[in-house]
Amino acid sequence: MKHVTINTTINSKAYVLDVCPNMTLLDVLRDELGFTGTKRGCEVGECGACTVLLNGQAVNSCLILAPQIDGHEILTVEGLADGEKLHPLQESFLDHDAVHCGFCTPGMLMSAKDLLDHTTNPSELETRSAISGNLCRCSGYQQIVDAIVETKFVNREE
Amino acid sequence: MKPFEYYSPSSLSEACTLLAEFGADARILAGGTDVLVELRKQGAKSSEVIVDIARIQTLRGIEESGNSIVIKPLTTHSEILHSRIIENEAPLLRAAASGIGSPQIRNRGTIGGNIMNAAACADTVPPLIALDASVRLHSSKGEREIVLSEFFVKPYATVARPDEILVEIRFPKLAGNARSAFSKLGRRNALSIARLSVAAVLAKSEAGVITDARIVPGAAFPKWQRVTEGEKVLIGQKPSRELYSEAGKKVSEVMISFTGRRWSTEYKEPVIAVLVRRALEACE
Repeated sequence: MKHVTINTTINSKAYVLDVCPNMTLLDVLRDELGFTGTKRGCEVGECGACTVLLNGQAVNSCLILAPQIDGHEILTVEGLADGEKLHPLQESFLDHDAVHCGFCTPGMLMSAKDLLDHTTNPSELETRSAISGNLCRCSGYQQIVDAIVETKFVNREE
Repeated sequence: MKPFEYYSPSSLSEACTLLAEFGADARILAGGTDVLVELRKQGAKSSEVIVDIARIQTLRGIEESGNSIVIKPLTTHSEILHSRIIENEAPLLRAAASGIGSPQIRNRGTIGGNIMNAAACADTVPPLIALDASVRLHSSKGEREIVLSEFFVKPYATVARPDEILVEIRFPKLAGNARSAFSKLGRRNALSIARLSVAAVLAKSEAGVITDARIVPGAAFPKWQRVTEGEKVLIGQKPSRELYSEAGKKVSEVMISFTGRRWSTEYKEPVIAVLVRRALEACE
């Protein structure tokens, strides 16, 4: 199988990668680059644990072939914090005890980031809809929704 | 995932050359939300060649063309959801797109992929058939246009040849007095495969008499079709809940005449009738 060379930006850093075309973006992130914050769950696009932002939009990294990110920009959960300073969403998740086992958290954060980047002061309904592609098997949805909705107040005060 | 050769042509002609060369060994990749799931299945027939058409910019976008709306196949469900043109001219398609998968799936999945995958539960197909849409196929041998209602052979099979690419979906704008709606029943709201759905268009004269009625159920028939028997119940009548229920019952009868009675009929028989009524009521 012929390898493919791709140029991509991950968490604001440029990469030139030599990839097997049958690898997914998820494989590249976790196995090649060590961004293990992005979780491997169902691998059929149903659980949302592998959610990352592709050009600012939430996508399932398990459903994207590695060569398909050539020329595009990826943001993973590792790119949310600014150095030691957590992203307001991460602070809000901590404040609201929105992390139980933590497996869904990176995906939830990325779906929430997409929402807050495109919607000011989202309603609870908009928030639930934005994370409808992310499963939390600990079933801590209420805290997660609260955390996301409350994040907007953090942003507003800034 | 099994190995394959990967090509990402940047022009339509380049893509057609590849498809003409590899024929049935090639698989077209657009958003990947169905294809990747397929590729990963154990024991599935593997594709030897993947032709990723996502770089072909001419296959993106929604435009008005005279009295028609043209949707290019790489348009994502999210783009349909946020399109002013679709909101104004085809609200039933917008409604169908809004219920597909999850935000993540809608950001990648394309309308062309939804049509070409041809799953019986494809949410965008019933609205498109209700809109009298047609599709244009392109290959190195030329182009042809096919009415969407004649495009499907059976679930997961279309009349498209392996060397053809879907390049355009086109439908006439609805009349100014027409209203449309889409009702879907799934096991949950998000990430649910349609168990049954109904796309409907309804137009009334100034006197309040129904002049145009189109009913297209999804996941109900072996092939998508307008149920003219149900539509006839409505034409020339004044709208009422009873009339809509009667049309729903008719659709249910026609469905059973196609599928026969099976284990799920006891459930589907009353449910499809209610979905038809709801879709018609939503057209008010």
